[in-house]
Amino acid sequence: MAVLRDSKLKRVLQWGDVRRRKLGTWAYALNRVTGLGLVVYLYLHLVVLSRLAQGPEAWEAFVALAKTPPFLALDVVLLAGLLIHGLNGLRVTLNGFGIGVRAQKPLFIALMVIAAVASIVGGAAIFFQ
Amino acid sequence: MENTLSNTTARPQTGAGSFGWLWQAITGVGLVILAGLHVTAHHYVVEGGLRDFQQVQAYLRHPVILPLEVLFLITVTAHALLGVRAILFDLGLSDNAEKRITQALTVIGALTVGYGLWLTWTIVTYPAAP
Repeated sequence: MAVLRDSKLKRVLQWGDVRRRKLGTWAYALNRVTGLGLVVYLYLHLVVLSRLAQGPEAWEAFVALAKTPPFLALDVVLLAGLLIHGLNGLRVTLNGFGIGVRAQKPLFIALMVIAAVASIVGGAAIFFQ
Repeated sequence: MENTLSNTTARPQTGAGSFGWLWQAITGVGLVILAGLHVTAHHYVVEGGLRDFQQVQAYLRHPVILPLEVLFLITVTAHALLGVRAILFDLGLSDNAEKRITQALTVIGALTVGYGLWLTWTIVTYPAAP
């Protein structure tokens, strides 16, 4: 049983360990790490939104807190996670249907550059609007 | 093949893995539109970056926005839990364990959507300030 648990743990650690790996492992790990992060965020978001059920005062108190720099920084991290996961996910879907398989490496790099630029532009909008 | 990304794109051809992969792809493509609309509407088109209570209420009461937000809730929940399922299935579990995980995630998904619907209804019907 312990051996079984060890081998399962090894499987998890293998996709998480990107050291000395090819770009494919990075893309795979990036998709999963951002995906898990977004799942955690989804449930935190649903918990936070329960304030809306308590009426305007409870919500406005949260909005004031959410406009502080540490929360805005987390919003930028969220935006980057959404862009990386969304764009990489589109590539995975296209490739899964046999579209753009030969160009998947440059496509991945191009999409991650777009994600980085859009995160910077969107992050600036979050902080300075 | 050198520099392949094939391990990120492998699509299961049969069974539960194929079913999950296809639904995750469909919900994922839908989310590009629905999450884009949600994030833009709540963070980028409002002065100050976040809607106040009355703005949230007015937004959700819109006859086109309400069904889109409900569809977003269902789609994002399905996509998230299918992703968790795929990661857990990669551990190489028994058929029985995979079946139990699918059942548990289905219950969690139904509870999540139920909570989201209740919350939406509560906001939309919240009485106006006197």
